[in-house]
Amino acid sequence: MRREIKNEVLNERLIHTKLKNGLNVYVLPKKGYQKQFAIYATNYGSNDNQFVVPGEKEPTRMPEGIAHFLEHKLFEQEEGSVFDIFSKLGASPNAFTSFNTTAYHFTSTGSFYECLDVLLNFVGTPYFTDQTVEKEKGIITQEIVMYQDDPSWRVFFNLLKGLYQNHPVKNDIAGTVESIQKITKDMLYKCYETFYHPSNMVLFVTGDVDTDRVVQQVERYFSDKDVSKQGEIKRIYPSEPYQVAAPVVKDKLPVPRPLFMLGFKDTQVGQEGQPLLDKMILNDIMLEMLVGQSSDLYVKMYEEGLIDLTFSAEYTGEKDYGHIIMGGESPNPEKVVDMVYKEIERLKQEPWDVECFSRVKKKKIGEYIRMFNSLETIGVQFVSLIFKNIGLFDYIERLMQINYEQLKSHFNKFFENYQSSVSIILPN
Amino acid sequence: MRIENMDMGKGITLWVLPTKKFKTVTISFCFHRDLNEDYTYNALIPAVLKRGCEGFETLKDIERHLESLYGALFDVGVQKKGERQVLRFSMEVVNDDYLAEQGILAQAFYFLNRVINRPVLENGGFKKSYVAQEKENLKNRIKSLVNDKIQYSLERCAQEMCKGEKYSRYVFGNINELENLDDARLYSVYCDVTQSSPLDVFVVGDIDPAKVRLLLERSLSMERKQVRTIPKTTYKKLQVVPKTVTEEMDVNQGKLAMGFRTNINATDKEYFPLLVYSSILGGGPHSKLFINVREKASLAYYAFARLEKFKGLMFIGAGIDFDKYEQTVNIIMEQLDAVAKGHITQQEFEGAINALVTSLKGSMDQPSQLIDYYLGNSVMDSDITVEELIERIKGVTVDQVVEVSDRIKLDTIYFLRNRKRGYVIHEKRN
Repeated sequence: MRREIKNEVLNERLIHTKLKNGLNVYVLPKKGYQKQFAIYATNYGSNDNQFVVPGEKEPTRMPEGIAHFLEHKLFEQEEGSVFDIFSKLGASPNAFTSFNTTAYHFTSTGSFYECLDVLLNFVGTPYFTDQTVEKEKGIITQEIVMYQDDPSWRVFFNLLKGLYQNHPVKNDIAGTVESIQKITKDMLYKCYETFYHPSNMVLFVTGDVDTDRVVQQVERYFSDKDVSKQGEIKRIYPSEPYQVAAPVVKDKLPVPRPLFMLGFKDTQVGQEGQPLLDKMILNDIMLEMLVGQSSDLYVKMYEEGLIDLTFSAEYTGEKDYGHIIMGGESPNPEKVVDMVYKEIERLKQEPWDVECFSRVKKKKIGEYIRMFNSLETIGVQFVSLIFKNIGLFDYIERLMQINYEQLKSHFNKFFENYQSSVSIILPN
Repeated sequence: MRIENMDMGKGITLWVLPTKKFKTVTISFCFHRDLNEDYTYNALIPAVLKRGCEGFETLKDIERHLESLYGALFDVGVQKKGERQVLRFSMEVVNDDYLAEQGILAQAFYFLNRVINRPVLENGGFKKSYVAQEKENLKNRIKSLVNDKIQYSLERCAQEMCKGEKYSRYVFGNINELENLDDARLYSVYCDVTQSSPLDVFVVGDIDPAKVRLLLERSLSMERKQVRTIPKTTYKKLQVVPKTVTEEMDVNQGKLAMGFRTNINATDKEYFPLLVYSSILGGGPHSKLFINVREKASLAYYAFARLEKFKGLMFIGAGIDFDKYEQTVNIIMEQLDAVAKGHITQQEFEGAINALVTSLKGSMDQPSQLIDYYLGNSVMDSDITVEELIERIKGVTVDQVVEVSDRIKLDTIYFLRNRKRGYVIHEKRN
């Protein structure tokens, strides 16, 4: 099954093929580029810690950080490190684990088709031993400890712990130094078998490549592999109350001045596809109008020295949770937070003019077009959308259609009765 | 892809790189300055200019204008290129071909000209409130370097290593200098920047060079005087007594930064084998540091080596447990020793060359990286294209790599560790 999706504004096309084993393959040809980029991702991240293995009755619970641990370990094969093979081919491979996704990718500037086989093969061939699992604990411990010294990471996870009472998004993606000690090779195999079936994965390729050749090669790769269908994976997320866990979370670190993040919990969750996309776009525009660099509030706070260029705001929208986060460095985080709350109330009485909406919308269109310069950015964006059932071009198509009335009513609904939390890191 | 280099007179050079592949056009104005005692003033100037100009006097005016240009990216900054400071004003706009409106590119040129040449003035100087706010922001920016422990440790290593040399100056300036900053002098330094500093203008995108030249000529209203010659970066220092510097802070992970003098800069013929040397040592997963410090000894999550091509420095960094300091330093020095003895596997050698080639080719897909590469050429008075550099790297032999290892001298080991007795800096010469 093959279809071509086109977008006139971007002047791009995307070719989608679904293989017999359920794997979705997408190719976005980019003429004239030196690089090729492939990303192979599974719909499995640090949040998927409790699940029912297809065919089993009892739920399985895994130590925090296992998805990320598995990502590290797939790079080691029986014959040695995958890095060596890519390095011979002149490609640089990497991977990341997020709350909802684990993705493996490489950038090549030649030998692309060989690299693609290597990618499919190493992600498709787990090899764990007690010894290699033990060795990785030292490396990942240093990774966790490194992030503990990073104030922006700390202020972020402290905020998530303030926003969420039960949802696993409050836990560190890499787990804790203690939790990863419990990980064994059998657990890794179990997670692998559950989440790395091709039907739970997606492959995206971009660059100056031959689409037919890519698709044929991937089909050939899987032709002698077991294509038995997998049953549904049941993921278990604890129910998350409407209320935040803590309205204020404070911590101390060796920072020259305070850092803060203000979070608003999205209480309208459970959507995917277009309704979720519309909400994401509306929130992106809304935040730009509320605290973007051209907004009255941003300018006021900047001129009073309460914020600087470190200040930013964004919305994260997933199927089962969502939040707005804004923050940066500030000499007086409490005052900033207070001004944001007051501005929200003011705007309920005196909304923005339509001209402001039009300008911000233009800016967002430009931003999305600009994103199509960078192969890596396109690939990562693609993966972040696809498991929410949102296509790569859907964003710009819906964006062009959104109008001011929708924005106004969205604003009023989002902030009607909001739940927020503030995380502050103070100098020690 | 071929860059066109046009002399516009009065010390202004226009670099145009026409390419169909980008959907945007990137413009970057780069003023070259010596990294002299004016460095804090230089660092502040772009931030003050960014606040407002004739026609767009406030932050809000500027932002709204950018939004109406389909979210044009406007950014300013300072960069250190050896012992030179570059003041940058850049813009990235969506190519007119993708939009219903035309003329956005032209607007970008006129806008940048206003920012650089028509600042908001008050009594013959910059607007006081803008200077005061941006002084504060810059002060905070200098202080917050410590929030990024990897960058902090590398910067501190370089400062300790190059004490007494211009290179030790931090690109964003100095806190004390900022506190005692003289407003009148700030304005006169600014005049000197626009009147007498060599200026490169880079333009990358799907554009016609002749048209760009015309746009630049028409939009630029800069009064130019005698253009300064900037001294070259000194980079040779063979007599080094290695020193160790330890700094204590409330941290969970120790940060090791080792600084070396390579005595080679990007215009020397040894530069090509040096690139390969550094990549074999710590340029990625194929490298000796990755394999021996991380994969075999499990000591670190990151361990790398990288070059500074203007001043001829090499830095090695690793994040480790505090009590693994000696073991890690020993393993690292063993790797340097191994390269010097020619213990380089085929895998390491090829991996290094491949990694360099891939990253250079990849830089051609990124407008900002292309500009940075050619800005480097401008600083070094070099005209080697990315394609030529790739060919030179491919021609490097193992023997040449072994040979350059002779020139590389350990200068400073810097270690950031947890606090034992309070915040003190220990310095030990050994």
